[in-house]
Amino acid sequence: MKVFRLSQTELDSMVQGWSQNRRVYRPAAGRQQSAQADCAPGWERVAGSSPLTVATGPSKTSVKTFLFPQPETMQTYTLKSSDPDKGLLKEPEKTTGKQIIVGLRPCDARSVKLNNLPFREDPFYQASLARTVMVGFTCNTMCATCFCDQMGGSPMGTEGLDIAISQVDGTMIAEVLTPAGEELIADLSLTPAEDSDINALAERRKDCPQADSAKLDALKSRDLNKLYGAPVWQALGESCINCGACTFNCPTCYCFDVQDEVVRGQGRRIRYWDSCMFPLYSLHTTGHNPRGQKMQRTRNRFMHKLKYFPDRYGPFSCVGCGRCVQDCPVNIDIREVIHDLLAVE
Amino acid sequence: MPTINEKLTEEIRTQAKALLANGTVAAVIGYSRGSLPMTVKPTVVRTAEDCGKLVWNSFCVLNLANYLPEVLKSVEPPRGPRDPKPEGPLAKVAVLATGCWSRNIVVQTQEHQVDPERVVVMGVASRGMVSRRKVEEQFAGREILTVEELDHDLVVKGADFEEKINRWSLVRDNCQTCTHPDPVLVDVRIGEPASERKNPNPFQQVDEIEGKSSEERWAWFTSEFSTCIRCYACRNACPLCYCPTCFVDDAKPQWVGKSLDAVDTGLFHLLRAYHCAGRCTDCGACESVCPMGINMRMLTKKLNKDVLNLYGVEAGMQPGSPLPLTTYATNDPQKFIVTEAKAVKEGV
Amino acid sequence: MTSETNMTSETNETAPWEPKIIAFLCTWCSYAGADLAGVSRFQYPPNIRIVKVPCSGRVSENMILSALKSGADGILVSGCHPGDCHFISGNMFARRRFPLLSNLLEFVGIEPGRVSFSWVSASEGEQFAEIVKTVTERVKALGPATRLIKKIDQAA
Repeated sequence: MKVFRLSQTELDSMVQGWSQNRRVYRPAAGRQQSAQADCAPGWERVAGSSPLTVATGPSKTSVKTFLFPQPETMQTYTLKSSDPDKGLLKEPEKTTGKQIIVGLRPCDARSVKLNNLPFREDPFYQASLARTVMVGFTCNTMCATCFCDQMGGSPMGTEGLDIAISQVDGTMIAEVLTPAGEELIADLSLTPAEDSDINALAERRKDCPQADSAKLDALKSRDLNKLYGAPVWQALGESCINCGACTFNCPTCYCFDVQDEVVRGQGRRIRYWDSCMFPLYSLHTTGHNPRGQKMQRTRNRFMHKLKYFPDRYGPFSCVGCGRCVQDCPVNIDIREVIHDLLAVE
Repeated sequence: MPTINEKLTEEIRTQAKALLANGTVAAVIGYSRGSLPMTVKPTVVRTAEDCGKLVWNSFCVLNLANYLPEVLKSVEPPRGPRDPKPEGPLAKVAVLATGCWSRNIVVQTQEHQVDPERVVVMGVASRGMVSRRKVEEQFAGREILTVEELDHDLVVKGADFEEKINRWSLVRDNCQTCTHPDPVLVDVRIGEPASERKNPNPFQQVDEIEGKSSEERWAWFTSEFSTCIRCYACRNACPLCYCPTCFVDDAKPQWVGKSLDAVDTGLFHLLRAYHCAGRCTDCGACESVCPMGINMRMLTKKLNKDVLNLYGVEAGMQPGSPLPLTTYATNDPQKFIVTEAKAVKEGV
Repeated sequence: MTSETNMTSETNETAPWEPKIIAFLCTWCSYAGADLAGVSRFQYPPNIRIVKVPCSGRVSENMILSALKSGADGILVSGCHPGDCHFISGNMFARRRFPLLSNLLEFVGIEPGRVSFSWVSASEGEQFAEIVKTVTERVKALGPATRLIKKIDQAA
């Protein structure tokens, strides 16, 4: 691993250099008035020479939009009778050029790793992952809605990042963690970090909020299946309005549906985000809906994150970014849900 | 000296407790404290002991009428779809309601979603709800840790700042232009009644957009809705949206595509707004819950303006009369109709 | 799975532009009016594609927007004159709804004149032809529709 010292100007010119021949994206600052045409809501393409600053806390929308786009075109076809290829499913022309995501936080970087568990054999996710380089900023402050430390992450964590940039006592330190990251800085002459910088960074990392393993273990060892009928869910389901604000802004919600769209003879098969909050999500063709009630759908979201996913893959399907807490119209707070579940006798 | 909200909270708790204790109602729909500053959680209280949870403040932005049909169903004795209706009167539900929410209950009654006999409206005159987004925008880049509410000011505190801001300047647009703050239905009065507010032009924001050219309006529309992530929070927060299958979920024909295509997103918002025509009370829940901060209320406000100008009706203001689009008059305006006479006149 | 109307002809891509107008005609009056225009040999522009509906009150905003989304340059909804509705009052309800929709579309920047409404009775063949002429001229003056049309990008 290489560690460098960066000044703000060096950082800016580095990012600008990347944006010359690659797509570089950063979180949009403040409330976005209008989304960019070639970029998902909440993000913007780096162009020109504006200095790169990243607001405290996670970006408005999560990084999953770059790896699991909404929508992803899986196949294209034509239904025009004049076309000899009529009805043939073709692979769409995919952009293969690298995309660089600058300014994501450790929680989002970790979510990429977590999503890679269910998507490990998914060609689309893997292709996106292969062409994505993530340059993250570690956090010196945790927001009131942040709880990455309680979900097994850390505000100073580097898991999933290619380059991690940390601010330690006014000095910017860049850790280049992967070959993809090294490729990015290959042509640049950067100042290697002093030993004192590296020590200070290690010190800071040691001091930052640590995972409360007792709570994590308590939750993990708890058989949540036994709480399936707990009254907690009833109250929760009653408040929930079953919108998808939590799932769509969640970095680790990865459910999708597949659909064919045909317009004027041109067709494409897309996969787009779906949410377990929507009745259509679990509706059978028979008309039966195993999760026909609001409460059942709300319960499923938390059970999936805290029980089904860890049962299958190990870690909780939550990185503690707090977006769902921030965006929930009815203030359903996953931290309170966990607390309530642990409190049930 | 307790603040206005503290007094209202106390009164809500007392009244709710009395209603539950004497068996008038089986449940009370209200708000309890939220886990973040400027949030509250819609809560259904079923026992007198739980009434202490209820709170009232300027952040009660969600429309509680949204919960009414479901809670009414939940207090009925359980029965299968083909079982006969139980004999005797069914249990009642009390709901907190401001001006616009009570008008929504009227609309729900007109549309037979709610049996008015079973609803006890705890009417609170609205002082205007504060927009969390406006407060956050005022403190952009700084994290707000607590917001304390005084009668006419908000005290916003962060790790390294504390500021006092006038409350009214942060009140939501729909509340600022609202002319009917007092509930139209009141069974149990909470606090003092409020008089009608005078507002020479509640539709000023709509007029501003109407004054633009067609190109500018299209540019406004496409940019405003471009950040939509299609989470449907606006739809689900709306007490008017109760269709078992929403038009966005129709598959054959599929009216609206499911992805973030700009046209599909635009159509979703147009149709959603249009479905609220003549029914929307401008409660602002849709706009308040939007995680992306889209001002979708402009579309419904435009429809409200047209419904008022063309048919002279404001939704939910006349409990006895039908909804404007479920009735007609023989002399309804029809200037928009293309006539053969017009065709001749235009010299075609 | 979706099925969409194929609005662009597959051949003749180079021919001069002619507007495509979807006409939702009530089967009892306007459709019969169109029929009468036909048998009486009243000429009208061949730009309209007729969709027969049971009543103008049946025409929902979904249908109109769906037609726009599929690339229609204009829409004409036509029903019985007020008072003549086969279902007594279907067109009266429609008359309440239509101005709201056309105003809303105008509000978001759809050019006025893309969506038109008319009353044509079964005996008004000539009037039907005149109205179609007016509507076609109007849409022609506006040019091809560009707004609210769904396009599919073949690249991902």
